[in-house]
Amino acid sequence: MAKKQRGKTVSSSKTAKTEAQTKHFSLEVESSDDEAPEEVTFEDSKSEALRSMKQALDRARREKELLKEKRRKRQELFQEQKKRKLLPVDVLEEIDSTPSKKQKQSEDEEEEEEQQKGEEKPTKKKKSGKKAHSRNLKGNYTVMTVKDQTLKTCQQRAAEDFIQSRLYGPGSCRTTNNEMLSLQNKKGANKSAAVQFVNKDWACKEKAKAEKQKKRWVHKQQVSSS
Amino acid sequence: MGEFKVHRVRFFDYMPSAIRAMVFNRKTERLALARADGSLEIFCFADHYFQEKVIPGRDGRAVEALCWVGERLFSAGLNGEITEYDLENLRPRYTVEAYGGPIWTISSNIQGTLLAVGCEDGTVKIFEVLEDRIQFQRNLDRQKGRIISLSWHPDSTQIAAGMMDMIRIFDAETGHATHRLLVERGVGASKSKEVVVWSITFLSDHTIISGDSAGKVQIWDGFTGTLVRSHLVTKWDVLALSVSHDESSLIAGTSEGTVIQFQFLSPTVNQEDKEWIRTRTFKNHSHDVRALAHTDTAVVSGGMDTQLVVRPLLDKVEKNTQESALRKIAFPHRNLVCCAKKAGLLLFQYPEHLEVWRVGESDVHGKPGDRLPVKRKPEKLIQLKSKGEDHICCSALSPCGGWLAYSTASGVRLYRLQYNNISITKVSRLPKELRWAHQLCFSSDSSKLFASTSNSSVVVAALNQLECKYLHTLRPKSGSRQPVHLLFASEDGKWLATANTDCEVHVYNLHKLKLHCTVPVYSSCPTALAINPATSNLVVVHADQQIFEYSLVQKEYTEWSRKLQKQGLHFLWLERDTPITNIAFNPQNSAHIILHDMFMFCIIDQSLPLPGAKTLLYNQMTLKSLPEKERIQHSHAFKICKNFQNLLCVCLLEDHSLVVVERPLLDIMSQLPAPVRQKKFAT
Repeated sequence: MAKKQRGKTVSSSKTAKTEAQTKHFSLEVESSDDEAPEEVTFEDSKSEALRSMKQALDRARREKELLKEKRRKRQELFQEQKKRKLLPVDVLEEIDSTPSKKQKQSEDEEEEEEQQKGEEKPTKKKKSGKKAHSRNLKGNYTVMTVKDQTLKTCQQRAAEDFIQSRLYGPGSCRTTNNEMLSLQNKKGANKSAAVQFVNKDWACKEKAKAEKQKKRWVHKQQVSSS
Repeated sequence: MGEFKVHRVRFFDYMPSAIRAMVFNRKTERLALARADGSLEIFCFADHYFQEKVIPGRDGRAVEALCWVGERLFSAGLNGEITEYDLENLRPRYTVEAYGGPIWTISSNIQGTLLAVGCEDGTVKIFEVLEDRIQFQRNLDRQKGRIISLSWHPDSTQIAAGMMDMIRIFDAETGHATHRLLVERGVGASKSKEVVVWSITFLSDHTIISGDSAGKVQIWDGFTGTLVRSHLVTKWDVLALSVSHDESSLIAGTSEGTVIQFQFLSPTVNQEDKEWIRTRTFKNHSHDVRALAHTDTAVVSGGMDTQLVVRPLLDKVEKNTQESALRKIAFPHRNLVCCAKKAGLLLFQYPEHLEVWRVGESDVHGKPGDRLPVKRKPEKLIQLKSKGEDHICCSALSPCGGWLAYSTASGVRLYRLQYNNISITKVSRLPKELRWAHQLCFSSDSSKLFASTSNSSVVVAALNQLECKYLHTLRPKSGSRQPVHLLFASEDGKWLATANTDCEVHVYNLHKLKLHCTVPVYSSCPTALAINPATSNLVVVHADQQIFEYSLVQKEYTEWSRKLQKQGLHFLWLERDTPITNIAFNPQNSAHIILHDMFMFCIIDQSLPLPGAKTLLYNQMTLKSLPEKERIQHSHAFKICKNFQNLLCVCLLEDHSLVVVERPLLDIMSQLPAPVRQKKFAT
C-alpha cells in the first residue's frame, strides 16, 4: 500500500508525504496497543488512504497558493513604495526648470550685496569656498539651499508672533468684544438687545437636526394637504 | 418722493483691516495710512479728509512703518523690504531688501536725504535717498536685540533707537552708540517680561520721549542720558507717540483705546521753565490705538478698530464750526459694491475675492413700511478668489450680469458668466493695453469695457462672445498724471465721464472716440458722478458736498445748478461728514436724483423748490404729520431717508426696486480682535 502511495505521490510535495506516513504510523500504533486489530476491508482502507492523500494534496496546493499570493503582494508593495519615492511629474519638471531661475536670483542677491558692502572679492571668495563640494556639477549650475526663502517667511512669522504675544498673549488682560459691547449697552443711556445672544457655534448638531426635522415636517404637511 | 420696494442687503460681510501706521505730510496736507493687509490709503486733509488714493495690499507685505520724504512715500515691513510707492500709478515703484530681517521702523532725517531703518537683527541701516531710488549707505553699530522704534534728531546728527529694555542713542556721523538709557520694566507679574519701547521721539532740545509696553511715557535728557520724568498712563501698552511740529504738544496712544495729550507748559504762572504735563485724554476708540499723527490743529488716530478718527484740538480751531467737529472715517470713499441693474445681481469686492449675489424676490405687495415675505431667498452665485498675491483694486459687473472684470496691481482679468447653470469662463488673451486698471466700468449694453490706466487715460475695449478687442485709448488734453478714480458710462452709450484726483472731470464722446468737453475744474475732488439718461446732464458731487449739474449738450452748467449755487446748499447738508459715493437716477421720473452717503440716502427732486437756510432739511416726519394740502407748501427738493444705516451702496434696479447694502458698524466691531478688560464701577 505504501508503495502504491509512494508511486502515486511522486508529484506531490515532500511534506505531504511525510505527514501521510506519520499519520498512518500513528494509526497503526494505536490499533496495536489495546485490542485485537480491527478488521478493515481492503476497499475501505484504500478509500481512506486515497482520501487522506487527496487532503494532503489539497493542503499542499493551498499552501503554495498562499505563498504565491504573499509574494505577489510584497512585490506590489515594493513597486508602490518605489513609485512613492519618485516625485510627481510636475515637481520633476519644476526642478528641471528652476536652477536657472535660482541662479539668477542668487546672482541678483550677490549684486545687491556687492552694491551694499562695496567689497566685491571677499564675498565672491566666500561663495566659491562654499561651492567646493558642488564642483563636479555639470553645466552652469549652482546649488542653493531652499532655506533662504523660508528663513525670511520664518522671521516674518516670528516677528508677527512677537507682536501677537505682546498684545494678546498671556497676561495681557483681554476680554471679548461681546462682553465689551454688553458692558457698553449696560452703561449706555438707552438699553437695547444684546449684539450677540449666544455663541453661534453652540449646539451645531442639534441645530442641524432641528433644521432637518423642520424640513421633513414641512414636506409632510405639503404632502398631506395636497 | 416715490415709493420703492427695497432690498435690504446685509450679506456683504465687509471687514476693514486694522490701521497699522500713519504719517502726515505737513506740506501737502496729506495723510498716508497703512493697514494690516498691506494696503495704503492717502487722505487729503485740505479737501475734507477725502480718501484720494488707495494702493491695494498684497499677501505678506505687512507694512509696519511709513515715511514721507518730500512727496515720496516709503514703507517698511516685517518682510524685510523697503518699498517706495508710485502715487500716480498706485503701485509699488520698487522694493529694496534691507538684509536685516524684519524691519520694525523707518524714519527720515529732516532734510530728506537719509532714511534709517531699524531691523530685527539689531542693526540700524542708513539708506541714501537718491533721485530715483535709495541706496544702502552703512550700518550703525549693531546691537543685541531688535530695534523697534527710531527717531532722528532734527539736526540729523543723532538717532535715538527704542529697543527691548533700553534706548540707544547713536551718533549718526560715526555710527557709534553714545548713550544707553535703561527703561524700567513694569511692576508685578510683568517684571519678568522685557519691556518694549514701542515708540520714541527725539526733540530739538535733546529731549527724548519714549512710550513703552509697561504703560509709561518717559521723558529723558538726551545730553546726560538720564530720566527726567515718568508718566504712568495705562496698565497696558503705550503703542504710539506723535509730536506736533512746533514741539509743544505730544500725544500717546494706548491699548485701552485712549489718546493722551501732553503739553510743554510751565506748571505755575509767570515762570519760565517748562515741563511736559499731561493735559487731555481722548477716548474715541474701542480697541488699541496703534498709529497716531499730530497735525497742526488735530489729533489723528487709528488702530485695531479700523476707524480713522480726526479729533480737532479745540484750542487750535474755532469752536462750534465744522472744523471743530470730530470725524470718524469708517468706510472707504469708493464703491466696493457693483450692481447689475438689469439682472438684479450684486458684486461685492473683498480684498482677496469677489462674490456675486442674486437679490431675493417677493411677489407680495404691502403698505409702505411693511416687511414683505421673501419668495426666493438671496443666493450667492459665485465666489471668485483672486489669483496671485496682489489684492483686488477694482472690479466691475456688466449691467446684464454676463461679464465680470477685476484688476490687481499685476493684471486685469475678465470673465464671462452664465447663470442658467452657473458657469464662469475666463477670457484669455486680453489686449496688452489692458495690463492693469485703477477703475473698471462696462457700457450699459455690455459691449464695451472701459479701464482707466496711467496718466488719466482710459482704454476702451470691445467685447463680443468670448473675445476682448482693443479699440482706443482716450486721453485728456490736460496732460494730468493723476489716476482716474471715477468712471461712468451713460445709458445711451454715447458718453463716458471720468474724474481724476486732480479734480478734473472729462467727458468723452464714445461715438467719435474723442474728448467732448472738460467740466470747469472745481477746487474739491469729485466723489461721485453720473449722467442722467433722460437729459444727458452730468451730475457731479464733490468732497465738500457741493452738487453740480452740467449739460453735456450745451456744455454749460444747467439752470438748476446755477440756482443751487446762487442760493447755496443747506448748512446741514454741508455739515455732513461722509462723502456721497454713488448717484443714481429714477427712470420713471427724470427729475429725481438718488444720492447716498454712509448715513442716509437722499432723493433730490429737481422740480421742487430748494430749501432755504431757515427751512427744516430733514422734514420727512413733519411732512407726514401734515394734511395733504399743506404738504406741498412745506416740501422741498431734498428728501432724506435715514431708515437704513451704514450704507455701502444704494442703487436702483431696472424693476424699480431699490437695493440698499448695509453694513452696521456694530457687526464690524463684534468681529474685531479682543479689546482690553477694563473694570467699570457697578457692572
